[in-house]
Amino acid sequence: MDDSARRLLQRLIRRIPAQMLKPTLDKWDRLTAAHRQSMDFTESKWALTEKLLAIYVIENPDHSMWYALQLVDPEDDAHSVELTQFKEQFKSHLRELIRHVSIKIKKHTDEAVWIRIAWGDSFSRPNHLKPTYVVHHLQTPYVFVTSLTSKLKPLLSQALVLSTRYQAIKDASLSARKLTAIRDLLMRQYQQVFPTKYPSSLVENNQNASNILINKEQAELAASRHQKACEAFGDGMLPQLQSAVYKLETKFRDHTNKTMTEREEAFRCVVKFASTNLLESLRHCASSGISSTPGTSLLSSIPLKGRNYFVITDNGPGPSSQTRQPPN
Amino acid sequence: MERPQNSVVRTPPNSTAVQRRSKSKSYRQSYRSCLGAASRLGLTPGLTARRLNSSRRALKSHIITEKVNPDHLALLVKREWRLSYITPLHQFRHTQLKRYSRQLSAFIAAEKQQGVAMEVEGSQSGFRVSFSVVQGLAATDDDAETVLIQPQIFSRPVFAKQDEPQKSVWSGWLTCINGNPEYLQSLPKGFTSLPLFGGSGAEVLTSLVKSWFQQTFDCCFGPLEINHTSLQWLAALWTNCHTESNLQHLKMIWTLPVVPPLQITYTVNPQDAWELWMSVRKDRLEKTEDEEEAGSIDIEEVMRFVQGLKSHFYRHFRLDLSAGNLNQVSTALGSAKFSGKIKISNSRYMITTLTLLTECALLKMPV
Repeated sequence: MDDSARRLLQRLIRRIPAQMLKPTLDKWDRLTAAHRQSMDFTESKWALTEKLLAIYVIENPDHSMWYALQLVDPEDDAHSVELTQFKEQFKSHLRELIRHVSIKIKKHTDEAVWIRIAWGDSFSRPNHLKPTYVVHHLQTPYVFVTSLTSKLKPLLSQALVLSTRYQAIKDASLSARKLTAIRDLLMRQYQQVFPTKYPSSLVENNQNASNILINKEQAELAASRHQKACEAFGDGMLPQLQSAVYKLETKFRDHTNKTMTEREEAFRCVVKFASTNLLESLRHCASSGISSTPGTSLLSSIPLKGRNYFVITDNGPGPSSQTRQPPN
Repeated sequence: MERPQNSVVRTPPNSTAVQRRSKSKSYRQSYRSCLGAASRLGLTPGLTARRLNSSRRALKSHIITEKVNPDHLALLVKREWRLSYITPLHQFRHTQLKRYSRQLSAFIAAEKQQGVAMEVEGSQSGFRVSFSVVQGLAATDDDAETVLIQPQIFSRPVFAKQDEPQKSVWSGWLTCINGNPEYLQSLPKGFTSLPLFGGSGAEVLTSLVKSWFQQTFDCCFGPLEINHTSLQWLAALWTNCHTESNLQHLKMIWTLPVVPPLQITYTVNPQDAWELWMSVRKDRLEKTEDEEEAGSIDIEEVMRFVQGLKSHFYRHFRLDLSAGNLNQVSTALGSAKFSGKIKISNSRYMITTLTLLTECALLKMPV
């Protein structure tokens, strides 16, 4: 929701008389019963606006970019952190770090803890029009964040690390507009396919045709491609990632071009793949034969490693933001 | 790569239409020479032998700011134009531009009154069209009529202050630069060829201008796509200029025909792109000492350049970009899209870019 829409909502709620708020929302009929029950009409109008905005974001988590972070090096008691403890610890740590901040934590039915943070500073009250949303699944090391400036990131990271009992947090190199996409990708909540020797279960449908032998051969090839594509990317509905970026800094190697092959420096380029559903496009590339050997290409690293930003160099595995070099 | 029967993918028909290798710069009989009989201009078959040059002069940076009015140049660069081709114009006179301005203004006003929907940023008042000749862009060859004409349609916003400059809501140009001399000389008397048309602004106005031209000069417009060969030419020609004007990047956008469609943006560091280009040209430059030969670029080199980029891509991603369509090429010097949109950001290379586009227009024309 952009700023102007937010302000409009604020003004609307301010103008509607307090007694009319509940009947208006009921008549509007856009909130589910659960949401309506959670709206406490004895609270101030300001609080109600916030609540409505929060409901909007939770129901429409795709309006801005989400970034995935990963907690690393758990302490011994990291796995036994439960909700109340996490809530208390997070609030107290964050409040120690920055005085004027408004934190609201809520647990959802799908085990996700939603945190809404409105940041202020030493001079101003928390700005509720530009809150940061954080989603964390307890018992997993993953945290998803949206609308966080780089200035405030260290504060949030610190508070998260301390309250979850891990030692550090790092950037997971994964970002997308759909929260469900990055969540499903990281937590492997999509239909994975494991290599089998007998791919008959995934054979595509064949129409009747005259030359049976050729068709059979083609069908087998198509089926095996389809199988490999699904092994690389998954079956059925795939998480809706929109893009992947690869920063390539490898040497140019082409046997037809001696000059460039002898060159010492890397050939620098950036490749961006974009689609409304990237993983499905890639899977279709693999199953239709446009991409060969999908399992070994860099593209299969997206679901394998759960990231969509890669820096590829010729050296072996380097710092955590790099992946291995492609086979020649 | 075998062609799978069950798959829905087919390599696009134009992806491997490589021109035959030829070092000769002369024009050759083309497959289109059979059009001769159908031509209403009575062109002989030999003169319809037009095909995209298999070799062309390297992009020379022309300092045209001395020759051309800088205001005109400012209008042409840094704007995105939608291209069309035009068949030769009948009875077009460069001396009658004032009359044409008045006629076109009247035409647009009349159409507006008739109720042709024209939402042009809330302006209520009328339009003023002005034609002008852009002198100095004419090529130095023995071309006929290589001039630019530029109608700019202004509109006066309702509440504008008196001295507020008028906003140009639409502009366009017609040009012919380095057109095929045989073709131009073969035109019957009374016909002027300005085959390349560029327009920028509201679509409605573009179509109004086109219909006026069609009515007045008995010509035909048609959409001009920039096919993938021309896009590759532009990529190579622009890369060639890197030492003179910094490219900043060489960006190419491909789309692959999968479901849902996959868009691949391949951006190469300019220095590396230039070195790759030079390595492709090295063989050619070493073999010849003739400066003229060295100054011209062959289609073979262009193909090898792009193939090098594709194979580097393939090495990493196991995807052959030839299976897709090249949609866009852009650098700091300009950008070109398959749909026929061009933007020239640096006036130094305007002439050579327009030469290539004039050629495309002449080639696409059905006459």
